[in-house]
Amino acid sequence: MRRRTFLASALAAAPAAATLAGCGVFKSDNASSSANSGASASGSVAPAQVRVYVSGDVNVQNLWSKNLGPAFAKAYPGFSVKVLVEGNTSASTVLAKLGAAVKTNQDPGMDILDGSFTTAATGGLLAKVSTATVPNIANVDAALLTPVDYASVPYRGSAVVLAYNTKYVSTPPKTLDELLAWITANPGKFTYNSPNSGGSGGAFVATTLAKYVPAADQAKMVAGYVPNLEGDWNQGFATLKGLGSSIYQHVYPNGNQAVLDLLNAGSIYMAPVWSDMALAALADGGLPSTVKLTTITDPTFTGGAAYLGVPNNAANKAAALKLVNWVLEPAQQETIVNVLAGYPAIKTSLLSSAVQSRFTGLDTSNLRAGYSTEMSTDMNSLWQQKVA
Amino acid sequence: MARRTPRLRALVMASPPVLVAAAFIGLPVVSAVLFSFGYFGGFNSILAEIGQHEHLVTGTSGTLDAYRDVFGDSEFRQSLWATVLVTAASTAVVLVLSWGIALYLRLSGGRIGKMLAGLAVVPMFIPVVIASYAILEFYSPDGFLRSLAAAVGWSNAPVYGYTMVGVAFGQIWTNLPFGVLMMTSGLNAVPDALIEAARDAGASTARAVRSVLVPMAAVPTTIVATFTAIGVIGSFTVPYLIGPSAPNMLGPLMTYTFESFNQPQQAEVMAVVVFLLSAVIGAFYVRANLRGAKETKR
Repeated sequence: MRRRTFLASALAAAPAAATLAGCGVFKSDNASSSANSGASASGSVAPAQVRVYVSGDVNVQNLWSKNLGPAFAKAYPGFSVKVLVEGNTSASTVLAKLGAAVKTNQDPGMDILDGSFTTAATGGLLAKVSTATVPNIANVDAALLTPVDYASVPYRGSAVVLAYNTKYVSTPPKTLDELLAWITANPGKFTYNSPNSGGSGGAFVATTLAKYVPAADQAKMVAGYVPNLEGDWNQGFATLKGLGSSIYQHVYPNGNQAVLDLLNAGSIYMAPVWSDMALAALADGGLPSTVKLTTITDPTFTGGAAYLGVPNNAANKAAALKLVNWVLEPAQQETIVNVLAGYPAIKTSLLSSAVQSRFTGLDTSNLRAGYSTEMSTDMNSLWQQKVA
Repeated sequence: MARRTPRLRALVMASPPVLVAAAFIGLPVVSAVLFSFGYFGGFNSILAEIGQHEHLVTGTSGTLDAYRDVFGDSEFRQSLWATVLVTAASTAVVLVLSWGIALYLRLSGGRIGKMLAGLAVVPMFIPVVIASYAILEFYSPDGFLRSLAAAVGWSNAPVYGYTMVGVAFGQIWTNLPFGVLMMTSGLNAVPDALIEAARDAGASTARAVRSVLVPMAAVPTTIVATFTAIGVIGSFTVPYLIGPSAPNMLGPLMTYTFESFNQPQQAEVMAVVVFLLSAVIGAFYVRANLRGAKETKR
């Protein structure tokens, strides 16, 4: 569906682009007045329809198509939300599409991008926000806005936490060192998914690597792409390689869910898992009630916010920013907490006490950022070479 | 209207599929091969902007640096080796099994033969993803095979889930139906008279098979072997689901390299390697086809 829209608008815009070659602003005035102007170059897009590209798992897709989308249309009559989902398309493919669209100044086929696209934000592909365009960012932790250069807005968070089965483990490890010691002491009772197949295993790898990386280098690797610092990872990769014989079946499952399944079956006793997936699984019986979640320190597992970004030349920029601001309101944040078991992006004190109580024992505010997109990609590749 | 020569008419009739193949298969192949040597113009320009660890050239002479990267990586060499081994082993087993079933059906017939041939075709109707997951579970540490072995007192039966042996099982499972269908029809096409003539001349069953059925069914045998080998060498789902993290077959490794590691150039180098291997296998198929065509003409 999305491809067809994209193609149609690209065809519509092509002659215009040819005659206006070199004129960089031909689309931007259209974008700013798009909420009430139908006479835009990309005629196939209804002015009040916000196209949201969702990159998450089924739970995130449902959040948009069943909860946030209909609620926004109800709150703002005349506006509608169209959820775009494209199977297994990887982040880099979406980046490629977006980059090509911005480069050629054509409709990117989406007005909001959900996910974590730091490089797109800092690379100038996404529009910058301020309290003038999105007033509710006043309630958002500024530490989450600086890494993306204010070019996307965090709207929910989740962290990787340590899940353990109290049936077999009475005192869970509190630090990374204790966890590594536990793994070697209990061979076959721990696993993590391959980092390229899901973020929970990725966070375990990134956290173990970070243990040996000097703080200054770590900060550079979070902010940008510095391949010459990858030597700092060698010690961490050696540690991970050393764990190999203690991993369940010496195999790293594909995907976050595969690890949860092993935990549910009792095949393993402990694993790094996404907080939102584990909380949802505990609520619907996908994990036994004997499984508990905890946070480790020194360093903590990475977590992070999922961001909403508005492409610089999105056709419905104004409506998109309206939606972004609306999602940050306490009511919508509570929906996210209730439906997705996600962490709120705004201060928890703004939410009802019932919602606040769901996060007892978990630190929702202090999320440690992971490596940048390119650094993570290289990390996955090196892990495959050195550890798998 | 001028009378066209048959040759020209054949060319005109064949041109639409040829053009489609050239546009949608030939062009991307050429573009990918060019990119693997570092040429990043045209179709490759956007890809080149996104990828990491690329070796691009600005002049006219290409670079082999991407090939050096890939072949310098021991994981790739192990995966290539694993791919070749799994392909050879599963093709051999598929050939033996499909020949066995087809031969039994041809020579003895009867209910058992029909049942065997029918059962062997069942995998065709089960989606590969579901089958792969079922195979993985069947051979897992708490799977059926180990449970059965434990029940009869064998406590440490082997685990084939997440191993290359398991992958080979999966490949055989998915490729057997085609082999059985092809071989049963191939052997059925051999006239009874030929076999009976051999028998009348005093040939044993084994001799009749060796001297009559094997040469008469050479073309379908080659087709089964080449199709199975090409199918296995480029497979993704079976090794992705059943195989170990590493070394696995090249299908998953290529996908990881392209998507997860964002190294399109290195992925395309691997694709070129698989393409060359498949081309060698394909040559046998083309030769068999030509021979088959010659025989029908005569």
